[in-house]
Amino acid sequence: MLERELFAAIAAAGRPLTPAEAREALGRPLAYTTVMSTLARLHDKGALTRSPAGRSFAYGLAVGPDTLDATLTARRMARALDGGANRAEALARFVADLGPDDERLLADLLRAHPSGGAGRGPAEADGAETDRAQTSGAQVGGAQVGGAQVGGAESTGAEDQPR
Amino acid sequence: MTALVALVPFAASVVLALAGPRVGRRLPPATATRLLTAAGLTTALATGFVLAVWAFILLAPLPELVAAGHWSAAVVRGGDPLPAGTGLLPAAAVLGLLAAAIGRAVGFGRDLAAAQRACRRLGPAPAGLVVIDDDRPDAYTVSGLTGLIVVSTAMLRALPADERRVLLAHEDSHLRHHHHHAYTQLAALAAAANPLLRGPARAVRLAAERWADEDAAAHAGDRIVAARALARAGLARADSPPGGASGGERVLAAADTHLEQRTRALLGPPPRRRPALVGALAALMLLTAGAAIGTEHLTEHRFEQARAAYSHAR
Repeated sequence: MLERELFAAIAAAGRPLTPAEAREALGRPLAYTTVMSTLARLHDKGALTRSPAGRSFAYGLAVGPDTLDATLTARRMARALDGGANRAEALARFVADLGPDDERLLADLLRAHPSGGAGRGPAEADGAETDRAQTSGAQVGGAQVGGAQVGGAESTGAEDQPR
Repeated sequence: MTALVALVPFAASVVLALAGPRVGRRLPPATATRLLTAAGLTTALATGFVLAVWAFILLAPLPELVAAGHWSAAVVRGGDPLPAGTGLLPAAAVLGLLAAAIGRAVGFGRDLAAAQRACRRLGPAPAGLVVIDDDRPDAYTVSGLTGLIVVSTAMLRALPADERRVLLAHEDSHLRHHHHHAYTQLAALAAAANPLLRGPARAVRLAAERWADEDAAAHAGDRIVAARALARAGLARADSPPGGASGGERVLAAADTHLEQRTRALLGPPPRRRPALVGALAALMLLTAGAAIGTEHLTEHRFEQARAAYSHAR
């Protein structure tokens, strides 16, 4: 799971990230070493490329020249497998398209439950790593991870823009 | 007696058709997915079997079958006053439904192959995740033999980090629990073999989505974040111009992921166990299977008697 999260975070950033940046982009208190070793593992598997950046590496997506091909393939596949009345739905969507009523309802919901709610603890399994995260925080230069980073539903656009 | 026992699977289908969707909403999603799939399969098999038996009993007094089977037409016909020709009706029904089920199974196989080809072309995906460069926010799991999660860059950018995590955990749950192969497809197969079970099959699809939602909420440690992720992803899709990945299917797919229901469920408390409801569903399955087996016994008995009467008459 963490591998996919890191992969997605780098893809969302749209540029290579150093372990410190990647850890920050995850928005939860994880040990620096955990992030670093996961990135290294992704690199070993060929999912990420890395290039020297300062005293560390910056990890980017190992997208081959066939990126466009993948996008086209995905589109064609989505069209072919998409759930018509009698299709097998081999493709399970996270969310489908909305009706106008849904749209209003969901917008209300987002307003009623803005991001970064108070008292949101770290997720399960993170607890053990929090301590290590703090000890290794020095390398990252003051870990400002956690609620604050994730906070602000409306500021998320800014968060994801290339810095 | 035979007729009464044989009616049980049909009664069970009607009960499932009427109660299935509500049961699916009330049970914890993982339980609902498993039980409704099992109940659908049991009922579909039982109705198909009973229909076939009916057809056979009704057709058995036909001279051609009497000659081939060496049984007494009078004994086989028993107390049933129906003429042999009416047996063609259940025979046609059972053949039609069997053909529909086979057609559906072939369709699944074809889709599986297509998904598998797509996975190969989209890959290699060492992390099991393919990010495609697309302006339309989209995220889905392709259920080939080796599953794959596909997310568009637009979707990744639309969600903050904690909600992205919910999205990935949701899709991971689909893959890990084989929701597609083990449940939604089998439920759809049951519905092809018994059209009364279409509602329950839809309930299974929703329950599988809810199952993945609950897994994702547990992974995020926060139900509200999970609900927000759904809402934001849905709105991001609504805001994006149609076209792109699946423009043509917008309307068709609209009702399929039940976004409103899923979001509301996440905003509410975690689902409670409902042992009574589970027990009732289990009892329904046992009763249905028992009725099919009972029908088989009664029919066998009748044919034994008919054969005995036939050889006695010689």
